[in-house]
Amino acid sequence: MSYPTIRIPFGPQHPFHIEPEYFMFEVDGERVVSVKPRIGYVHRGIEKAIEDRTFIQNLYLIERICGICSHAHTTCYTQAIEEILGVEIPPRARFIRTIIAELERIHNHYLWLGLAAHEIGFETLFMYTWRDREIVMDLLELLSGNRVHYAMNTLGGVRRDITPEIVEKIRKGLDALEERMRYYKKIAMTEPTISKRANGIGILKPKDALALCAVGPTLRASGIKRDVRADDPYIAYSEIPFNVITYDRCDVISRLFVRCDEVFESVNIIRYAMEHLPEGKIRIKVPRRVPEGEAVSRVEAPRGELIHYAKTNGTTKPERYKVRSPTLGNIPSLCKMLVGGYIADIPIVIAGIDPCFSCTDRMAFVNVNNNKQWILSGEELRRYAIKWYRKE
Amino acid sequence: MTKGIAKENQIVDKVKEVIGKSVLEIEIPRPRRIFILIDKKAFGKATHYLTKKMRFSHVSTITGVDVGKEIEVIYHLNRGGTIELSLKVRVAKDKPVLPTIIDLIPGATLYEREVHDLLGVTFEGHPDLSPIILPEGWPPDVYPLRKEWTLKKVQKRIMKGGKQ
Repeated sequence: MSYPTIRIPFGPQHPFHIEPEYFMFEVDGERVVSVKPRIGYVHRGIEKAIEDRTFIQNLYLIERICGICSHAHTTCYTQAIEEILGVEIPPRARFIRTIIAELERIHNHYLWLGLAAHEIGFETLFMYTWRDREIVMDLLELLSGNRVHYAMNTLGGVRRDITPEIVEKIRKGLDALEERMRYYKKIAMTEPTISKRANGIGILKPKDALALCAVGPTLRASGIKRDVRADDPYIAYSEIPFNVITYDRCDVISRLFVRCDEVFESVNIIRYAMEHLPEGKIRIKVPRRVPEGEAVSRVEAPRGELIHYAKTNGTTKPERYKVRSPTLGNIPSLCKMLVGGYIADIPIVIAGIDPCFSCTDRMAFVNVNNNKQWILSGEELRRYAIKWYRKE
Repeated sequence: MTKGIAKENQIVDKVKEVIGKSVLEIEIPRPRRIFILIDKKAFGKATHYLTKKMRFSHVSTITGVDVGKEIEVIYHLNRGGTIELSLKVRVAKDKPVLPTIIDLIPGATLYEREVHDLLGVTFEGHPDLSPIILPEGWPPDVYPLRKEWTLKKVQKRIMKGGKQ
């Protein structure tokens, strides 16, 4: 068995963002026997590029690692560099960073819920969640001026302040978001379309989740209470009370409930942060030249543990910068979940870890009995899955 | 920033006890962060001790750094989500070989392949070190994250279709 040769002329360098991704499935009838991932199709060489840019320029580059968790990446970056510089940012900046981070989490989880609904053919839910997602997008635009790539973080603090009028608007928006998510959770618990496609699908046992180093909601849906915000507090999380959500059914529905409940937690965190917002400056000046040193910075991105490693050499550019996004950490677990499942469950199981994929994904199937090979695009596979479940 | 690092000191002391003189450098820059540089000879013993006895069973990622004549491989190990221990080990650039850790932590498989792709470190005992990030047909001697491969040099090589 070998990979069909697909050649995509792509620039050199580093893995990190995992959009188009390739899996080789070995199937026996409708069952998946083995999975082999191949990533790197959107490898943009960012780690190499970071070494070639100044610390200020890198803010913009790192913001663009991901279109959805851009704030998580810059938070991780600024934290690492501030640690090496030995500066502490003003408390108000820490709280503003936290508020944006949690709005981003709400945004991400709403988006994910819509995509998951789309994967199982529940288009109405997809449309509804994405409509409600606009509320949080508007709030982020109000705060930062941008719907995505908020560009709020800078070395030494944040760029924009929060005014009392904005706080009022966020409060109203949060009420709506909370109420809607309560409704969606009720639907997820009662609607047969969802329970049929998500109950008991894509099992990841706690033992495997730990061994394969799963992160984020995927890990917490296997009953393991681990969250960087609580275990290794950063920005303002040590001052804000919140719960780490876990479910122990280890399947797709469990991952869905974890995300629903995390939205409620995020809403509470933002409310608390806005109520206890410290007065003062929002940023301090930092030198452009960073002394020699190294730092490991961790952040709980919406998709899980995000880790950056920075090494500096006393110039205006970093010596080495390493990024590991949560999706890469979840790929070994994803392969484990897929093995033993049906082909028709592949889309929702993959969507279950909330990966950063693009629609150009292609999957190759090899039938173990006659060694026949065929290739389906993500969209074709989704249609196949919906049809397959309808037949039952 | 040195307050509250009693636990970290304890861990470091235990590591020192087990591998003794092979510990070359230790740094605890702040609570929940440990950097340990060890001799390559003690690598197997150190990883086994840390993962099996000290419960550093989660590998966050593996970083490779070009430090001149050697390549520094950093294992970012984590215990219970809190303490992040970065275990560093250096290998010679002309013969960069390390034993794999996937028998200790199965989740490290993709990270090892990543370091193999980009810095050319071979992990002995890894079942599949085929390219995971770099495209097929990438020139086998070009390791993009090594310092001698500047962006211009890589570009030039790729323009020639990977040929020398």
